[in-house]
Amino acid sequence: MTLLIVEDEMALNKSICDYLSAAGYRCEPVYTFEQALEKTDCHEYDCIILDIQLPGGTGLQLLRLWQQDGKRDGVIVISARNGLEDRIEGLQLGADDYLVKPFHLSELSVRIAAIIRRKQFQGQSIVDAGYILIDTLGKTVSIHKKTLDLTQKEYQLLLFLVVNRNRVLSKNAISRHLWGDDMDYPASFDFLYTHIKNLRKKILAAGGSDCIKSVYGAGYKMQL
Amino acid sequence: MRLFDRYKRLTITASIFSFLIGSIGFYFVLTYVLTRQLDETLKSEQQEILAFVQVHNSLPEIQNTRHQWITVQPAATANEPARFGSTSQYLPDRKGNKEEEIIRQLSFTIAAGGKHYLITVNKSATETEDLLQLIVLVTICMVAILLLWHTLLQRRLLKRIWQPFYDTVERMRQYNIAGGQLLELPEENVEEFKLLHDSLNQMTQRIYQDYQTLRAFTENASHEMQTPLAVIRSGIDNLLQNAEGQEAIANGLSVIETATDKLAKLNQSLLLLAKLENRHFLFTEDINITEVLQNKLREREEAISAKQLLLHTELGDACIISFHRQLAEILVTNLLNNGIRHSKTGGYLRIRLSGPVLSIRNTAYSGALDNQRIFQRFYKTDPSSEGTGLGLAIVREICTAAGLSIQYAFNENEHVFTIVFNQGQAPMAGNSHPGTGNNRLS
Repeated sequence: MTLLIVEDEMALNKSICDYLSAAGYRCEPVYTFEQALEKTDCHEYDCIILDIQLPGGTGLQLLRLWQQDGKRDGVIVISARNGLEDRIEGLQLGADDYLVKPFHLSELSVRIAAIIRRKQFQGQSIVDAGYILIDTLGKTVSIHKKTLDLTQKEYQLLLFLVVNRNRVLSKNAISRHLWGDDMDYPASFDFLYTHIKNLRKKILAAGGSDCIKSVYGAGYKMQL
Repeated sequence: MRLFDRYKRLTITASIFSFLIGSIGFYFVLTYVLTRQLDETLKSEQQEILAFVQVHNSLPEIQNTRHQWITVQPAATANEPARFGSTSQYLPDRKGNKEEEIIRQLSFTIAAGGKHYLITVNKSATETEDLLQLIVLVTICMVAILLLWHTLLQRRLLKRIWQPFYDTVERMRQYNIAGGQLLELPEENVEEFKLLHDSLNQMTQRIYQDYQTLRAFTENASHEMQTPLAVIRSGIDNLLQNAEGQEAIANGLSVIETATDKLAKLNQSLLLLAKLENRHFLFTEDINITEVLQNKLREREEAISAKQLLLHTELGDACIISFHRQLAEILVTNLLNNGIRHSKTGGYLRIRLSGPVLSIRNTAYSGALDNQRIFQRFYKTDPSSEGTGLGLAIVREICTAAGLSIQYAFNENEHVFTIVFNQGQAPMAGNSHPGTGNNRLS
């Protein structure tokens, strides 16, 4: 899986590359409009992470060019602007998702995974993580071919953990993914704890291992 | 005191004073002139007598009238100079009543037929006095009429002349710098108003520009902060991968992350506020507010049950309003969060949508909140609270931008927030009956 990271802020670009590389993607960082155009002219990517404000042009212009060329790469727009117009225009120009800065890398990773699932495998909807199989279309989870009965939040949580498996995820990042920005953190941590506890129980009951590890002081980690 | 009244008082006082002085002066001048005239008549009488004596060397036969008579007395010498004088005397008037009259006299001596005489020519000054009185009366009347006229005219004229001033004040009062429009006062012909308008136009233009710059600055600053925040947050995400087993580092990172999240949230809220002020949003989408409420309540289920709040909803039929989707969600989320956050554990949360009237009530920890400050930015009753202190400020700004008003009331140990959505633009579904609820407050 190859990703193109178009982001002019070096430090952010490097962080994204580091995280996604560790998740098993091959990342190519570019920093300007020109570089991005050059790269996409001769390569195809599974997903392009695209910043809106770039030296030499805007991400929206790039989207327009790609659309004219009939490119079908998955694109996720990351922007400092929470403008609804940008979001709508971006999506109209063929972007698959839109993420507002600052975001958690785990969130970005989940979104990329979803785009790749949708785009690359022609509607392939199974996330295969060892003995855990997640059907993202039917929103069902099975362990050793046994279907798990999960609540909506538990399903969301499990998918997030599985996609970001073997990574340490902060409680903040998970909370944000499950409840959005508007939750009070101390309160949501309690809910999170409850959900994790229930999820663990259900996985164990289905014959799985105790794969959700607590990382002291930091958060949780799905070890698969 | 109004400028009018002050001006009127001053002008009237000055007018009365000057008219008074003028009248007194006029009186004296008139008296002088009339007395001179009287004296002339007396003198010509004297001349006649002198001429007669010169020709006949005897006194003429004297014919007295009621108003003019001559007395002759023997005198010791004929060399006394002629003297004018005034005296008063009771004389019968036409009806026979005695009346004091002023008499003007000219006394002179004359020698006739070897004898000396003191001749006094008397003339009643009544007519002169009457004339004088009449003139004074007419003058006073004229003055009074003039004053009255002046006052009336002034009231009318001043009102008309000052009308542009009142218009200007009214426009100033109505002007809202956040409205996105310059105060453009019309061109005036009158120099003073022209000066006033030009100065006000200039001043508001300057303030408006400063205000715009400041608002643009807030928005830009918030934008610019997003990328560094993204760098920090992603950096933490990466660092966390190495913090496994090192609790101290992990804890430190968590603290930084929480602070970063708070900063990001704050920044986003400020950005939203700036955008709301800059009227970035159009409220033209048809939004089913009932649905938004239901969705947001579902999202908050856990928080509500965690606080053991008794949730009571009365949403009724679908209520469609002209709004902005994102803002409707933020509005509802903030109000719900506020209600949940500031409820007593084990209290209740009551949400009622009756027609276009949305009321959210929750049990209070303590007494009423300060109605003036509750919607202010960064106002927190509990400084250690997790919120940014911007939630209600955003709610109010959204309401303002949408042309709605939000009311807060404290009612028997519960906080009540009430919003009345635009009914005019919003087609109502079903038969709603606003105002029948006993918990509707305005």
